[in-house]
Amino acid sequence: MGKLKERIILKGIGASPGKVRGKVKIINFPEEIDEINKAGIIVTSFLTLDFLIIIKRNPWVSGIVTNKGGLTCHAAIVARELKIPYIAGTAVATKKLKENMMIIIDGEKGIAYA
Amino acid sequence: MPKKLDKFKKIKGIKEVQKYGLPLPETIFIFDFEKQEKELNNFLKDREHVAIRSDKENGLDFCPHNLRCPRNKAKKLIKDLISKGFAIILHEQNHIPLGKDQNKVSGNILILKKYMLIELMRGEPLILLNRDGKVDEHIKVDKNNLKEIKHFGKRIIKEETLNKILKMIKDIPSYKIVEFTIAPDWLFFWQIRDDKTAKKLEG
Repeated sequence: MGKLKERIILKGIGASPGKVRGKVKIINFPEEIDEINKAGIIVTSFLTLDFLIIIKRNPWVSGIVTNKGGLTCHAAIVARELKIPYIAGTAVATKKLKENMMIIIDGEKGIAYA
Repeated sequence: MPKKLDKFKKIKGIKEVQKYGLPLPETIFIFDFEKQEKELNNFLKDREHVAIRSDKENGLDFCPHNLRCPRNKAKKLIKDLISKGFAIILHEQNHIPLGKDQNKVSGNILILKKYMLIELMRGEPLILLNRDGKVDEHIKVDKNNLKEIKHFGKRIIKEETLNKILKMIKDIPSYKIVEFTIAPDWLFFWQIRDDKTAKKLEG
């Protein structure tokens, strides 16, 4: 149990269930999602409508972690529709997670593991 | 009233608020300017401003609005929007959020089978929560006894206030999101929308 706790790197709100392992892709602008061509977990401040439109057309987005948001936001509803695990409301994801870091996210519990 | 009312998402959501007898700012819907002109005149009478929103079948297009429209400009705008295929949602303006008052709490309540999930933000309008992810407080409560199970974020609403709101909506079926704003002297519900994806949160 102690070992498992040490591996937890981030907690937030479980907004779309499912577990996925992948590399972190820090995203600042919606267009950057179009450039993803390998499965990856996108990490960003929040997913506004511009981001969601691009996520819908890029099948390589395998997971989402955001600083803001919750499970009643439009972003969470879209993630559940697309069956993409999503942790919302972490506050610090873009600071704590680094580009290409390998992580596991649990979109039900709202926990990210290193 | 058109038969295909279900295709007007916003209007359907407001009708749901009315169906469950929840408080809503005085509101009418205009689908046909000529036929409803008298109803419109009655609504505009004695009001300096009104809030005009629009809705379209299937709601895919941008829907124009003027949340503080002077009475003397309202009819022209409504007629123009109806001629372009929009249906009109007309509210009394006094309680419509313009984003200037932080002395309020706005939120969504997602109803599941056993739980209610509440997400709140200080201020208004609620679009800041829905589209921009502004969530200040997240609460999970047991639907049967309204006891808090989980809490996340700052406390921005008193427990007794929240419980009063939750009791008002206890008969609403699962997988719906109830939107509201509470101010020191009023409480209004804006819409009730479906969220079929919420079934995935039951686990």
